[in-house]
Amino acid sequence: MQKIEAVIQPSKLDAVKDALVEIGVQGMTITEARGHGRQKGHTEFYRGREYSVDLLPKVKLETVVADEMVEKAIQAIIGVARTGTIGDGKIFVTKIDEAIRIRNDERGEVAL
Amino acid sequence: MPEKETPEGKMRSEYQRRMLAIRDAFEAGAAGAATIGARAQAMDELIVGLWTRAAERSAVLRSGIALVALGGYGRGELFPYSDVDLMYLLDGKVQEKDVKQPIRRISQELWDCGIRLSPLTRKRSEAERFDADNVEFALSSLDHRVLAGDAAVYERFADTGLAKMLERDGKAMVAGLVELTSERHKKYGDTLFHLEPSIKDCPGGLRDVHVCAWLKTLGAAAAGMKPGATGAGEGWAAGDREDFRQAVGFLYTVRCFLHYRHERDDNTLDWQAQDAAAKALIGLDRERARLEGPTGAAYWMRLYFRHARIVERSLTHMLEMVPARERVGRWTVMGKAALSKVRRRPEPPAVGYRVDNGRIVLGAAVGAAGDPAQDPEVVLQLFAAMARTGCTLDRGSEERMSQALPLLSTHLEEGPALWRHLQEILLGQYAGNALRAMHAQGILELIIPEFHGIDALVIRDAYHRYTVDEHTMVLIDTLHGLETPQTGPMGEWAGRFGGILRDVQHGALLYLGALMHDTGKGRSTGNHAGESARMAESVAERLELDVYESELLLGLIRNHLEMSAALRRDIFDLETVSAFAGKAQTPEALRMLTLFTYADIHAVHPDALTPWKAENLWRLYLATANYLDRSVDDERVGARVGKELVHRVSALLPGKREQVEAFLEDFPERYLRTRTPDQVRMHFEMAERFAQDRVQMEFRYAPETSEITLVTPDRPLLFADMAGALAAWGMNIVTADAFSNRQGIVVDNFRFSDTFRTLEMNTSEHAAFVASVHDVMAGKAAVEKLLAGRRRGRRKAPKVAVQSRVDFDDEASSHSTLLQVVAQDMPGLLRAVSQTLAGRGCNIEVALVDTEGETAIDVFYVTRNGAKLDRDQQGELKRDLLSAIEANAS
Repeated sequence: MQKIEAVIQPSKLDAVKDALVEIGVQGMTITEARGHGRQKGHTEFYRGREYSVDLLPKVKLETVVADEMVEKAIQAIIGVARTGTIGDGKIFVTKIDEAIRIRNDERGEVAL
Repeated sequence: MPEKETPEGKMRSEYQRRMLAIRDAFEAGAAGAATIGARAQAMDELIVGLWTRAAERSAVLRSGIALVALGGYGRGELFPYSDVDLMYLLDGKVQEKDVKQPIRRISQELWDCGIRLSPLTRKRSEAERFDADNVEFALSSLDHRVLAGDAAVYERFADTGLAKMLERDGKAMVAGLVELTSERHKKYGDTLFHLEPSIKDCPGGLRDVHVCAWLKTLGAAAAGMKPGATGAGEGWAAGDREDFRQAVGFLYTVRCFLHYRHERDDNTLDWQAQDAAAKALIGLDRERARLEGPTGAAYWMRLYFRHARIVERSLTHMLEMVPARERVGRWTVMGKAALSKVRRRPEPPAVGYRVDNGRIVLGAAVGAAGDPAQDPEVVLQLFAAMARTGCTLDRGSEERMSQALPLLSTHLEEGPALWRHLQEILLGQYAGNALRAMHAQGILELIIPEFHGIDALVIRDAYHRYTVDEHTMVLIDTLHGLETPQTGPMGEWAGRFGGILRDVQHGALLYLGALMHDTGKGRSTGNHAGESARMAESVAERLELDVYESELLLGLIRNHLEMSAALRRDIFDLETVSAFAGKAQTPEALRMLTLFTYADIHAVHPDALTPWKAENLWRLYLATANYLDRSVDDERVGARVGKELVHRVSALLPGKREQVEAFLEDFPERYLRTRTPDQVRMHFEMAERFAQDRVQMEFRYAPETSEITLVTPDRPLLFADMAGALAAWGMNIVTADAFSNRQGIVVDNFRFSDTFRTLEMNTSEHAAFVASVHDVMAGKAAVEKLLAGRRRGRRKAPKVAVQSRVDFDDEASSHSTLLQVVAQDMPGLLRAVSQTLAGRGCNIEVALVDTEGETAIDVFYVTRNGAKLDRDQQGELKRDLLSAIEANAS
């Protein structure tokens, strides 16, 4: 099992969710986030005041999938989240030792 | 051979048999009250039987100890999965260690039956002592019944000990009870209108029923009466009693249903439970319901909310009897000091009602004047007072209004008078409370029948917490909440959006839009925004709103989801901003939509509006506001003169369509969108009078902000002269805009405050003021001469120091340079700026002048010799402007 963490543009969230569900990914956790990579912020002027936008709004999506699903899930995310401009986001993949369903103590991939 | 059943075993078997029979009876249609009574009785028999057997074995149980039922069981109410609260009450002579074993054996027998037993052992002296840290125990001991044991021990506790405790600590118990209730209500957002309510703990639920009974007991004790067993409905006013009994009976039945269904003490009416309850006709007259056909969950939930409302109202009325200083939370009585603090202006003398200790009380019916409860004027003024002060309505007044409703409806007049009353209510700081009271009384639906469709309406989705009507009220509360500083993670954002609220010029329309925005959900057409706008149209007609107000209102409702939709796209993409700006169209509409979206998200669920969302909303607002300002110059009325507004103006000037089109050509679209057709007609007619006088002015006086509209052919220094003429009279320009058309006619509008109150204190000077400004604009008087003689008042030190800045934008317009000047607002500033522009040969194509607190924000689209300013010209102009601003300030 592996955990996929994808930091994406908020406007791509619905499309990414739908794409993952379509390939059979059942569960995911969504977190509102702010951040930047090479896409730096900018400064907005309004009524004589500067408002700097250093950290841009992002969304972090986390899901744990079976090993054989990892590449499929990554491609599903990239397929809909990519625009080609700086700021599209990143995907990180880490190994997961165990998954447990709290309700009935199921363990392993069956708990996903 | 089967083992012979022990007496305890027989008792258990009999108990379980009876419980099953009781359940069967309930499922066949027995009422909740009968069910819980029968269960309590069966439990009594089991417990008494076990006690008797135990006492036969242990002599220590035969005296000095009583077995007492407490809490719900003490009331004789035992829900299927509720705890059984038992107290082993010891006389002073009996030691706990001596009775420990037999008590444990009895408890074990009961646990073996699957009973959720909560036993406790107390010495009588302990049980009669009030512990402020354990108010719950003190309250549960108010409901008590002796089951077995030494009757004398129980009598000393019930008749003497408890009475002394109530006498000594009654007030503290009341205060503790009110505090606990307030905290519980707060946990549920102080509303009973949850989509999946807990029928025990939510406001209007069974816990509130118990609170009513406890308050009655505590109140009786305070009056010197013997504390007796509590009973729902005793001693209520006739109008409420039967309603209250029915409400309690309904809740009992629903709770039994939920317990049997969930097979645990789960009191949540989730959606599945709602469906099942409706299908099983829980709490309904089954025969009648069968005749009327299937009952949907939506209808069933409305019944639930109706009953819960009755319980909540009864609780509120009971709390009126609690001394003011013991009330906390939402029942805190507003003291006189607080009352006078929230008033923005002196309270008008009240006719037909009075404010008495935080309550609003209708006056008595007097002779020919009749009953004030039947007078719409009095009733609406009363609710306006409620909205201003946060006071609650007296119970007697509520009842009188309910009875007077049919007569009230015949006397109610629509039109501007009704709109004035509604505005007062909507703009009051406690509008939400007043509107809730009006809704509960049926008066809101009298004024706005369209609201009936969303009364206690449950719309099932994973996000909304409240019913549709309550969501509306919470939205209105949220908007008003922006008027005062807030703390916490949302404090910073509330402050920023509060700043936008202060700039809204049509606040009443914002709140009216909030009230109407979801009424369309009652019609389930799929497009509730459009449907709500359609319903609001008839409201606007009945209130006789003018065209501009109607359009602003309907636009807000129709587009109320647009900003949320835009937030789901890339808010830094110009296309997103431009598309949304196309929906908002004007700064005022943008402000209203932004505030509305903020409050709408917050009213979905207390956690829905995160700082992350608020920040994105703010960014989109900034980007759109800047876009609207920067696109003014390029978006002009052109060949597309067949716009609806142009049609409307032409309709007001029959036979002059061609002249109207020519007049409007090349005005920025912003001009058309921020003026009513009637105003545009007036400007056209002013331009038609150039033959008599080339300087046409219209002056409107108001104590806070007066207004002059100037229609005249464009000329150099025109804007500067106008600003100078106003400054010479000590007028401080708050906002201004200036637009010109293809024919070179300018329409300039100035809103200004009167620094020296000259016009306010000398109405005879109005004509002189207008004549003086006219003479300057007509070139008959030199503005420098006027300014030289101007009275220079001592300038107050500014509360906030504003750094002057001058910025240019070459991209905002295709043919002019955008210039933004931000500086400390003070008299003469606009004159200094516009004179500097004229001195540098700049022509003002469009001017948008605004003031925010002590900051003046002036935006100009300028050209020089018909072209944009180059970099050098911008640099020189910037230096001159900063010098002029500094000179004006000194």
